[in-house]
Amino acid sequence: MANALPDEELMSQVRNGIGEMLGVLFDRYQVPLFNFYCKLTGDRTLSEDLVQDVFFRILKYRHTYAVGTPFRAWMYQIARNARVDHFRRSRPETALEPEMSPVVHHPDFAQQDQEANLLHRALMHLSEEKREVLILARFQELKYSEIATLLGCEVNSVKVKVHRAVQELKETFQRLERGDSLQQHSEGAGWPRPGSLQ
Amino acid sequence: MKKCEQIESLLPDYLQGTLEQDQIQLVESHMEGCAECRGEAILWKQLASLPEEQPSPALRSRFTAMLESYQEGRWEKSGIATERMKLSWFGSMGDWFRMPAMAGVAWALVFLLCGFLIGKSVGKSTDSPDTAQAQIAAMRGELKSTRQSMVLAMLQLQSASERLQGVSYSAQAEQLDPQVLGALLHTVRYDASVDVRLAALDALSKYGTRPEVRKGLLESMQDQKSPMVQIALIDLLVDLHDRTAVQQLQKFQQDPGVNPAVKQRAEWGIRKLT
Repeated sequence: MANALPDEELMSQVRNGIGEMLGVLFDRYQVPLFNFYCKLTGDRTLSEDLVQDVFFRILKYRHTYAVGTPFRAWMYQIARNARVDHFRRSRPETALEPEMSPVVHHPDFAQQDQEANLLHRALMHLSEEKREVLILARFQELKYSEIATLLGCEVNSVKVKVHRAVQELKETFQRLERGDSLQQHSEGAGWPRPGSLQ
Repeated sequence: MKKCEQIESLLPDYLQGTLEQDQIQLVESHMEGCAECRGEAILWKQLASLPEEQPSPALRSRFTAMLESYQEGRWEKSGIATERMKLSWFGSMGDWFRMPAMAGVAWALVFLLCGFLIGKSVGKSTDSPDTAQAQIAAMRGELKSTRQSMVLAMLQLQSASERLQGVSYSAQAEQLDPQVLGALLHTVRYDASVDVRLAALDALSKYGTRPEVRKGLLESMQDQKSPMVQIALIDLLVDLHDRTAVQQLQKFQQDPGVNPAVKQRAEWGIRKLT
């Protein structure tokens, strides 16, 4: 069964031209990738476009996948590039304002929603660099060593980044809970600027 | 009780749950007395309350359309093999290089020539600096043209992976001469392999400001059958803000035979360019 095969085996088959195997990888990773982009950008439509773009690029650049190397790290590398390219391509005046593309709310869970809502707002107030490293470590469940490879830095430096991101997120979240305005504290608006990751 | 600074280095691993038991105890006993570090661990757990978002079902169908278009494109080879025979830039030498073994020979020749050129310049190192520099410049020129002929030769080889190698070899050159650009454009238009066509398109992308390259790209869009390449072409022309592409994109939109994923991309392209 293809469903039981490890990612690396599936990708190596895609590399050899068996495109159907990409369907299995898509089923495995469409939700994690979609959440990676949603948490990073707060924009569902854009996130779907980017997920589509990642799988298009996996097909297009499949011959660059080195057989036997971890697939997830390679995929997230593509995912980061797809996003950087997107912001490079879209001109500043056409970029959406955050208010225009709110993340979906779940009105059924009022209490939990309140906390999630504040956490989400706090997350969006982190600088993009901190937000990304936190999302990778917390939600995409990448090991620090994998993130280090992805970002091209030392494992210890990833740990420091994660720690600082958690510290700052905690402070922002507590301020939001107290109902403080974030304007004077925020380190630049949370919305990713074109090219800010380059 | 340990200080925060000592715990800090353990905290990230504690959060991801990769610490040994004795280190976990160390962190937890510190947290009992330190609200700051405890708060961070609590926040990490709280992040689980952020819901997992579900993409719309449209994402799956878009993916399926893309994959199908890829499968179609992969097996589509109509008329391309005969077109490749008409290649003119390398003349009858091309037939020699069609034999896979010739690729190795061609590489060997390049290395031999490099060695010879380097030897020539090193051997005369006692010359005045001016002559030495002139020689190095001449050597660079010769190497450059060797590289370019290499690309031309490799683009005509039988095996797709060798042609692919030829394309990536061209991408390493600082500047390509018009003849090689023409060969790459020809590859984008007629090569039998979708992979090679896509790679050639990538290699050409940095020469997109040249009018002859744009014109060639636009022309190759007209008879491009592979949806994958069609999409990549649309992306590139949008990137180059080439408004003359709009007409061709509208044709894609209206043509009932064009793959739905390509139509979608063409619509997107028109929006971007107009």
